[in-house]
Amino acid sequence: MSETYDFLFKFLVIGSAGTGKSCLLHQFIENKFKQDSNHTIGVEFGSRVVNVGGKTVKLQIWDTAGQERFRSVTRSYYRGAAGALLVYDITSRETYNALTNWLTDARTLASPNIVIILCGNKKDLDADREVTFLEASRFAQENELMFLETSALTGENVEEAFLKCARTILNKIESGELDPERMGSGIQYGDASLRQLRQPRSTTAQSKQQCSC
Amino acid sequence: MERAMEQLNVQLNRLTRSLRRARTVELPEDNETAVYTLMPMVMADQHRSVAELLLNSKFDVNYAFGRVKRSLLHIAANCGSVECLILLLKKGANPNYQDISGCTPLHLAARNGQKKCMGKLLEYNADVNICNNEGLTAIHWLAVNGRTELLHDLVQHVSNVDVEDAMGQTALHVACQNGHKTTVLCLLDSGADINRPNVSGATPLYFACSHGQRDTAQILLSRGAKYLPDKNGITPLDLCVQGGYGETCEILIQHHGRLFQTLIQMTQNDDIKENMLRQVLEHVSQQSESHYQKILTGLAEVATTNGHKLLSLSSNYEAQMKSLLRIVRIFCHVFRLGPSSPSNGNDMGYNGNKTPRSQVFKVRKVYDVRKNDVIGVKETGFKEHANIYQTSPEQEPLELLWHSLDEWLVLIATELEKNKRDPASGANNITSILLKQREVDSSAASVVGDNTARPQAITPASQAQLDAEVIIEAPEAYADGEDVISMTANRLSAVIQAFYLCCSCQMPQGMTSPRFIEFVCKHDEVLKCFVTRNPKIIFNHFHFLLECPELMSRFMHIIKAQPFKDRCEWFYEHLHAGQPDSDMVHRPVNENDILLVHRESIFRSSCEVVSKSSNEKLKQGIAVRFHGEEGMGQGVVREWFDILSNEIINPDYALFTQSADGTTFQPNSNSSVNPDHLNYFRFAGQILGLALYHRQLVNIYFTRSFYKHILGIPVNYQDVASIDPEYAKNLQWILDNDISDLGLELTFSVETDVFGAMEEVPLKPGGVSILVTQDNKAEYVQLVTELRMTRAIQPQINAFLQGFHTFIPPSLIQLFDEYELELLLSGMPEIDVNDWKKNTEYTSGYDLEEPVIKWFWEVVESLTQEERVLLLQFVTGSSRVPHGGFAYLMGGSGLQKFTIAAVPYTSNLLPTSSTCINMLKLPEYPKQEILRDRLLVALHCGSYGYTMA
Repeated sequence: MSETYDFLFKFLVIGSAGTGKSCLLHQFIENKFKQDSNHTIGVEFGSRVVNVGGKTVKLQIWDTAGQERFRSVTRSYYRGAAGALLVYDITSRETYNALTNWLTDARTLASPNIVIILCGNKKDLDADREVTFLEASRFAQENELMFLETSALTGENVEEAFLKCARTILNKIESGELDPERMGSGIQYGDASLRQLRQPRSTTAQSKQQCSC
Repeated sequence: MERAMEQLNVQLNRLTRSLRRARTVELPEDNETAVYTLMPMVMADQHRSVAELLLNSKFDVNYAFGRVKRSLLHIAANCGSVECLILLLKKGANPNYQDISGCTPLHLAARNGQKKCMGKLLEYNADVNICNNEGLTAIHWLAVNGRTELLHDLVQHVSNVDVEDAMGQTALHVACQNGHKTTVLCLLDSGADINRPNVSGATPLYFACSHGQRDTAQILLSRGAKYLPDKNGITPLDLCVQGGYGETCEILIQHHGRLFQTLIQMTQNDDIKENMLRQVLEHVSQQSESHYQKILTGLAEVATTNGHKLLSLSSNYEAQMKSLLRIVRIFCHVFRLGPSSPSNGNDMGYNGNKTPRSQVFKVRKVYDVRKNDVIGVKETGFKEHANIYQTSPEQEPLELLWHSLDEWLVLIATELEKNKRDPASGANNITSILLKQREVDSSAASVVGDNTARPQAITPASQAQLDAEVIIEAPEAYADGEDVISMTANRLSAVIQAFYLCCSCQMPQGMTSPRFIEFVCKHDEVLKCFVTRNPKIIFNHFHFLLECPELMSRFMHIIKAQPFKDRCEWFYEHLHAGQPDSDMVHRPVNENDILLVHRESIFRSSCEVVSKSSNEKLKQGIAVRFHGEEGMGQGVVREWFDILSNEIINPDYALFTQSADGTTFQPNSNSSVNPDHLNYFRFAGQILGLALYHRQLVNIYFTRSFYKHILGIPVNYQDVASIDPEYAKNLQWILDNDISDLGLELTFSVETDVFGAMEEVPLKPGGVSILVTQDNKAEYVQLVTELRMTRAIQPQINAFLQGFHTFIPPSLIQLFDEYELELLLSGMPEIDVNDWKKNTEYTSGYDLEEPVIKWFWEVVESLTQEERVLLLQFVTGSSRVPHGGFAYLMGGSGLQKFTIAAVPYTSNLLPTSSTCINMLKLPEYPKQEILRDRLLVALHCGSYGYTMA
């Protein structure tokens, strides 16, 4: 029957071509590194139910193509996203330089309250690093982003990135800063809270005893 | 002596008593006989008689008898014989005696609601807590039947109101299933556990929902019942939706607002029956304006998510497409019910560019206002192509999807454009080959040179390689572009289909949404590119073409180029769309719907019954019976079409005339000799339409030009050949030769013989005085052709089409040309014995090797074409072979091959047939000569008329 969760969050994965967005998603969903990765065509989709702070949350993740020619198509998917992973490649300064553009897109086209986490991917290729941790974290701070360096290859920080983003959204819901009831919030209620776990059935032996009095 | 006398007296006394009461007066000695004497009395509560008989008798009142081993007390309790019950109890009957199924008298009294008996049994200390073999107690029985009053009395004696049967079900469970409100209340007041699960985890609320017991669900929820799924995770809401119980759903939603969302999410679930879910949503949406809007917005959001998933290449195309279309269908259905639907009168001022559904999405608008300051930034930031969505940017959730669709199509257009700019010239091919070569090289190099070996290898190996990448970037995109188109065409087309559905539901019936037309025009090139690459898309997704003639014309040439068979399938799929399970399903025929026709006056009687029937009924299915005959079924229907179509062209009615070749027909220009001729033409059109609708073949072949008239294709002078070949030759001659100096003295007029009187008819206004010259001869030929072929029979054609179009919409029939139309209407005229033989099956002992069968086919091969037609008619009821040959022979319930069954031979026995199943019952003739002889006798005498074999 239908899936059970407390909340559903719409997520985006954005960033320049070749930064490993699809690999991050694949690692998060399948717990494996995707070997034969091609350019994403348009937008791909994945979902996973996670447990965050005692709540079950279904993440509905839209993995966008980074190539310029798909830009207008991928932009049309931004609306109503609650969270986003903004990805660059630590071995490519070019992808880092493009972050401002991606950020503007996300803030204007998605929900204004969108929670964004900056991910410096390919952490495993430290030898080829072109972007330092420090400058990226400064960028994150200036733009009010969370920040992690990740590796889709080893899986390091991948789960954390998604969960951190989800946890922040959840906190904002609890603090009232985000209203899931509002249209376009990118958040939906599930019916998990209604389906309380059943306590073990009272032993029939006991009732039988009462019965034969 | 005295003793003997006394005995005699006693006996005499007994005899008179017995006779007077019409029964025995003394119980037989043995219990078994005695109990059967007593039983009817107990049933009738004849307590005095029973008391009398039991007096001085040694009968054991607890004697159990019969198959279920019940005592008389059971019988009394069961029948409500309260006096007998008291008597038996006084006589020491055991109130707790259990029959073979473990039922006590109290169970039976409870089941049948015998209030007094129950009371008495309780007085005599009957145990209310006894369970029968299924674990049911008296309160279960009362709960099943909702006997609240009795339950009220009984429940105070019950030690455990939650006593469970073998399935873990309590009285409350069964009362909820059956929706006995007061019983439920009574049980709850007596302390029944409202959330008690049975063995499979089903709670009382679960049961109320599974049976759509709205009021009961209401009671339970207001008393604080929890919303619990069973052990398989099936929730009460799931059950309501499965059963289509809208009212119960509404109650659930009232108490648990979150279920609203869950309900809407269920539209994505393939396991749920669409009609049930639609029914539920329909009900809920009608509860209030806000519900209606909430459902539409919710559905639009789910549809958008699904549409976006469909546009993700890794999603399952089939499943996602079905899901999207299902949600959109439901959306449209609910939308149409609403106050803003075009069918409800208002909002006719649809202006085409804007989404008129402002009131539906009020909720949304508030949000949009807030949103607009942000969007303002976007619009100055990057003003893309001026598209039709900018007038109502993302007003409703679905607009997001349509916006994505639009962006996708624009992207494809750009890719196509790139294709054109870089045509696949030799140079380019070389670059792409080079590129591939290089890719192989570089990946090999990276494997060797770089241990991490990332597939998307951005590792800058050398400056030279980087340069190469820059240079070859364009062709890479080009090769990729081809991929993008082929990979997305199907998915985008499915979303276009959804877009069309949504646009249409905002329009009054039969009108094409201007917005959709604009959309198709805008993306004309891309759409044409899709269907040219994969014409299947037309049949799978572009159904809108059938409803929008203005769009159809754009694609007609591509459609006409598709195989006849594919178009046939599309044709029938649409013809029958909306008909609940079409004619292929056998369903009981309502006696009133049978068309009763007379064989002697087949034409007139058929015309009468058809005109009395409603078109809708005729579409659902036809049942025909000939007056005075018993036969009915598909075979009779086929015969009816066959004979009737022959009658339509009967010269006596003067409706159709034979063409020059003697086998084809067209309307008779002088048919008005028959005063009712136009009505008859309409009837003829109806019959032809009906035959086509039900895939029945008719026994008429029309002239090429008349087929063109049916299709609405203009005729040309060559078509004249079919009615007047000599005249057609003359027209041809005029066209082929210079007529300037021939002195033909022709004017634009024609002399026509109207019942013996010659009349001059002008071909155009003032035509009598316009000479035909070398310059205008083509016009003359066209006009004269139209006069002969069209104008002369225009009223007849119009009447015929009026009838024909009641069953076959013009937009559908135009998928075919005139040759194909003939095949559709009349099937293949020639009988191919090899094909016949190949598609014949054998039963009850026959096979191809059997001598009788070998003889049979030898005989068939020796028959004349006409006799073969007779044989076919004898067995199948129709003289025609369907197109595609014998493999497509239809029977009463779908495809039914020609079958030959064995029948034991007796002297002079003739072959018989069952036309419904296309079966020839062929006796096992000892010789080929006998077989041939008997078969021919049967064919010539028996191919008409039905009697039960």
